[in-house]
Amino acid sequence: MRFLAVTAILAASASMAGAQQLAPSPTLDAIKARGNIECGVHLGLPGFSFADDKGEWTGLDVDYCKALAAAVLGDAKKVKFTPTSVQQRWPILQSGQVDLLSRNSTITFSRNASLGLNFQGINFYEGQTFIVRKATNAKSAAELDGASVCVAAGSTEEKNASDWFLERNLKVTITNFQKNDDAIAAYDAGRCDAYTAGVGALAGQRAKLKVPGDHIILTQPISNDPQGPVTRWGDERWQLIVRWVLNGTIAAEMLGVTSANVDQMKASSKNSEVRRLLGAEGNFGATMGLSNDWMYNVIKQVGNYGESFERTVGMGSGLKLERGQNQLWTKGGLLFTPPFQ
Amino acid sequence: MSKALALFNDKRVRDVIYQVALVVGLLALTVFFVRNASENMVKAGIASGFDFLWRNSGIDVPFVLTDYTRAGTILDLFWAGVANTMLVTVVALVLATGLGFLVGIARLSSHWLLSTIAGAYIEFVRNIPLLFFVLFWYFGVIAALPAPRDSVSVFGVAFLNNRGLTIPLPDAPANFRWAVAAILLSWLAQWLVSLWARRRKDRTGQDAPMLAIGLVLIVLVPALAIAWASLATRWDIPVLRGFNYRGGFVVIPEFVALLAALVTYTAGFIAEIVRGGIQAVPHGQVEAASALGLRPVRILRLVTIPQALRVMIPPLTNQYLNVLKNSSFGAAIAYPDVVSLFMGSALNNTGQAIEIIAMTLAVYLVIGLAVSAFMNWYNARIALVTR
Repeated sequence: MRFLAVTAILAASASMAGAQQLAPSPTLDAIKARGNIECGVHLGLPGFSFADDKGEWTGLDVDYCKALAAAVLGDAKKVKFTPTSVQQRWPILQSGQVDLLSRNSTITFSRNASLGLNFQGINFYEGQTFIVRKATNAKSAAELDGASVCVAAGSTEEKNASDWFLERNLKVTITNFQKNDDAIAAYDAGRCDAYTAGVGALAGQRAKLKVPGDHIILTQPISNDPQGPVTRWGDERWQLIVRWVLNGTIAAEMLGVTSANVDQMKASSKNSEVRRLLGAEGNFGATMGLSNDWMYNVIKQVGNYGESFERTVGMGSGLKLERGQNQLWTKGGLLFTPPFQ
Repeated sequence: MSKALALFNDKRVRDVIYQVALVVGLLALTVFFVRNASENMVKAGIASGFDFLWRNSGIDVPFVLTDYTRAGTILDLFWAGVANTMLVTVVALVLATGLGFLVGIARLSSHWLLSTIAGAYIEFVRNIPLLFFVLFWYFGVIAALPAPRDSVSVFGVAFLNNRGLTIPLPDAPANFRWAVAAILLSWLAQWLVSLWARRRKDRTGQDAPMLAIGLVLIVLVPALAIAWASLATRWDIPVLRGFNYRGGFVVIPEFVALLAALVTYTAGFIAEIVRGGIQAVPHGQVEAASALGLRPVRILRLVTIPQALRVMIPPLTNQYLNVLKNSSFGAAIAYPDVVSLFMGSALNNTGQAIEIIAMTLAVYLVIGLAVSAFMNWYNARIALVTR
């Protein structure tokens, strides 16, 4: 009798699995109904998220939003970008005005634990450092004793810098501005001896200074600031999609799939992982409630992580950042992704 | 039934019913909003409550009046912000009132150039947004001031540069507390003497030498007290070391820029209130006063302004409340007021948006109500007493 009952339950659950009974995802349903993804980005940070004079958004964080749109809706253009300030970003995400944030925000414990935020992986490893005038002859942050530093209020940078100088017993005046742009303008006007932000952000913002050549970015970082797409709590399936699109772009680089060779790879690659990634084998897309060529669309339209990096912040861009930590682990960097298996 | 209907037709009963219904409705709405918000926050995994106020803040503040340090709590940070907001508001109120009165009276002057300049100033100020003033003063002031190495030295003890005005700070403030006490006592004495002198004049018609007494009690005694306190104290004199001056107290440029913006902006509006108030006094009053042989300045002081004040106080109260609220523009230039410190830094560090915004609103509400209560009291005091 008991054996029969167990068999019945097993049979029932098997038939449900066969019918693709996915857990409901309100976010995904809303996106499909709306026809675009609402992506919260930075107000304007060259290389990461920056709108040109035609209103076209470009940048590493922007590319991630486009990749997500390609995966979910099949079209990388179906993104609505919402510029958010340091102060607005969490409430805008928490209240559901955007589907996710992709905007140079550091992943921290307290944000994860007490703000109802989830971090779905890392698309940029960043270290905080300082920009100073060449005339000061400062070579490292340790020489900034007595200096004043401009910073965006409430950023992790504000606290990192304060902690770092306190630990070394250096007296530094930290002046907090509401926006990064205000802080860098004040630095440029001579109000501060240094401005602090992540290496990538500094490289982008240096271009906004009156005479960029007069300033030097100190090389030694004082913190580690991993950054990546942020979702709110709840809706696990949406989080799954956000996480695996990011993993997919990194895996594609590792597997040598690029926007140029993706058609050929899909048709004739003998590597099973490549075939699963591109939807030629298995049903990985369908498992999440997407079409099976989800990553094919991403690579075809946006490219893999490396392509995106080179185009936005790397050697092919104005920022000219080295890959450094943001290189694949196989090439001495930190980028690592679980296999598509 | 008809009895209940009759009761309802009674206007007083009906008023009570409406008011009770209104209060109950408002309460229900509040309860609904609070419950809705807290339920949604729990669902979204956001911590709520005021426990975060006792967390360590770890935020540096470059300009503090309280004994806040980065080792303090978030509540200490809140008070530091409130103190900075009150400081800039009170100083701006006093200076803007003074400047506004001068400009307003100049606007009415029969001197063509004076009244044209005052009129141009008023029109200019009233048609430009405050944020422009704030940014203009901030970046204007900073661009004009030299870097620390080339500071403007004031007698070798105070130094002005684009990091602010560094002034010497007394090592032990005790002497200054005595000096302040002495000054207050001497001002109290001056007030009592003037009361006595007025009574005596009413009684006997004799003038007391009030100018000499005033000079001694209002100017000389305080000057001596401050001189004594300064000489009896060891001073922490700023010295240039490395990037900037060390020691002393720094008046940051953000404070100066915000204050200058608030004063120049508000003065334009106060000037119009002053002009309106003075013009509201019937011209016959001035004619009557001059027929009595009073000189123009005395007419202004004794006849026009006391009557104009009655018209001016209510709109002046609005301007004072605007100064309080406008002080939040300091956040745009990093003046560490309550908006910048609490709604900026603390909000971002803790993410407790609802609690923090509610507390900030409460600060403005409490200070605002206090200002308007004071102005209402003053208004009642100077109101025309009719029998």
